[in-house]
Amino acid sequence: MSAPSARKPLPSLPFNDARHLQAHQFLVDEAYLLDAQQYEKWLDTLTDDIRYVMPVRVTTARGAAFDTSPGMAHFDEDKYSLSQRVARFATEHAWTEDPPSRLRHFITNVRTFECDPIEGVAHLLVESAELLFRSRGDVNESALVSCGREDLLRWCDDRYKLAGRKIIADESVLRMQNLAVFL
Amino acid sequence: MTEQRDVFENIRRGMIPAHIYNDDELFACEKQRLFSRAWIFVAHESEIPQDGDYVVRRVLDDSFIITRDSEGDVRALFNMCLHRGMQVCRAEMGNASNFRCPYHGWSYRNDGRLTGLPFHRDAYGSDEGFPKAGQTLLPAPNFASYNGLLFINLDPAAEPLEDFLGDFRFYLDFYTKQSTDGLELRGPQRWRIKANWKIGAENFAGDMYHTPHTHSSIVDIGLFREPTAQKRKDGATYWAHRGGGTTYKLPPGSFEERMRYVGYPDQMIGRIKTVWSPQQQRVVGEDGFMISAATCFPNLSFVHNWPRVHDRDDEVLPFISIRLWQPISANETEVCSWFAVDAAAPTQYKKDSYKAYLMCFGSTGMFEQDDVENWVSLTTTAGGSMARRLLLNSRMGLLSDDRPVIEALPADSFHGPGRAQVGYNEYNQRELLKLWAEHLELPA
Repeated sequence: MSAPSARKPLPSLPFNDARHLQAHQFLVDEAYLLDAQQYEKWLDTLTDDIRYVMPVRVTTARGAAFDTSPGMAHFDEDKYSLSQRVARFATEHAWTEDPPSRLRHFITNVRTFECDPIEGVAHLLVESAELLFRSRGDVNESALVSCGREDLLRWCDDRYKLAGRKIIADESVLRMQNLAVFL
Repeated sequence: MTEQRDVFENIRRGMIPAHIYNDDELFACEKQRLFSRAWIFVAHESEIPQDGDYVVRRVLDDSFIITRDSEGDVRALFNMCLHRGMQVCRAEMGNASNFRCPYHGWSYRNDGRLTGLPFHRDAYGSDEGFPKAGQTLLPAPNFASYNGLLFINLDPAAEPLEDFLGDFRFYLDFYTKQSTDGLELRGPQRWRIKANWKIGAENFAGDMYHTPHTHSSIVDIGLFREPTAQKRKDGATYWAHRGGGTTYKLPPGSFEERMRYVGYPDQMIGRIKTVWSPQQQRVVGEDGFMISAATCFPNLSFVHNWPRVHDRDDEVLPFISIRLWQPISANETEVCSWFAVDAAAPTQYKKDSYKAYLMCFGSTGMFEQDDVENWVSLTTTAGGSMARRLLLNSRMGLLSDDRPVIEALPADSFHGPGRAQVGYNEYNQRELLKLWAEHLELPA
């Protein structure tokens, strides 16, 4: 799925619109799965053709017309690569998350936008802000990642699934030892 | 100083005082005696392909603008205005014909020449008070390239880059010269880890012993077939002058068959054969070794692996990554990790190779994640007082009388320069730390 940002219509849906409420609930439920590291269940909330991207941000002059590193990302994932990452955590040898991190995905500033059906299927564009708090062990300082997200949700039979996500990091140099976590 | 002399003596016999991985005093010494004298990687020419392109990079605390000026010449300019010292460029990358200081508006051409000085006549009486001609942003004291890799040396009297690299160039070519078009770099991903910079450099230089254990999850999920204990033991580690690395032993076959085994398409193999010397080709074709990780002293590392990138087949594909362990302090490092690919490679290959890189290395790489967890833990513990009483045993591959557990490979089994060795060993980590000690002992 291509990045949804270019096609975003204004204004956002009213906060009492059922579609907004569904989208918001999707994100909050997802945050729970990510906090609890229930990654198999999380994979099930993604469509098979998901594109999950986190470009590398760079500092550029105002007017440079770009603020991401050309051709480079932190994440540039499809279902296979995300599944491999999840499968790794299920092995007994994924030391980076054993003992596991204590995670809290804070989700806010959720806005939902109408979207024309894609190939006859209903979709929603959802924007959110995310702050991830991660604490490991008892000695090292905790770490934060702040980012914006642009999601594409697709109606699949009886529920929405995530079909596309673009994660926009707010730092050019991440202050976290790795991204062995999802945003 | 007596204490430091003990540190260096212990290091020469393969016993590492644990505190060297988190010691403010030694870090101050590294800044003054090592990073001010060694050739430090800053960028690759492919990152600034067009006239006017620039990237801003640091050598420790010094910021340099690496620019391709309007004549096409590549330069390294100290990013500090001649007037009041403001950074004249505060972006990380871009394209510019001029850099204008935001403080008082002095401006410089992208070759460093001072061209604009507001109120020159009123403020200085024109050239009489301040002759503009010949004024430039300070150039790096020494600046040179090898296969497009750009290095700065802060020592004006430094030995030439080619001499500094010496025989390690033979191995650098495997990573950085796969056609006459040269490499194309993307990135870097940048992130900070609470680990001492030396740990990553040592790990990439020669720690084949950690692979079967640290990275067993990668084999468990079928991403990479090689790092089992047997395969790592059979690979050769080599050290040549200012760098060394690890290799994997390949199954029997010709040069072409072995290159195909790690996933190179035939058209790339064809081009590689035109740029690698017969001796370089023999390391693969006759000796059967394929380069994996490596480190060039002091803080530049490389990796070349061949994971399975799709679930549709068993096909593997190689990727190359270049990385810099940029020291922030005794216990913090900024990792800069680039994806690199031969510029002449087919489009689909570049796409798949990039995917392979992202899955294995870099900020989200599955190999990398487990490494950093270890290094952070080591660094934290090395900062305590007990670490000053502990000598870490780094003598693997040596008997107590310093005879090797396994003899070095003879020249007809390993056609590369330097010393090569099979079996578990820590020769390369010792070589790297010996160079480190040598630099730190030389008075500033």
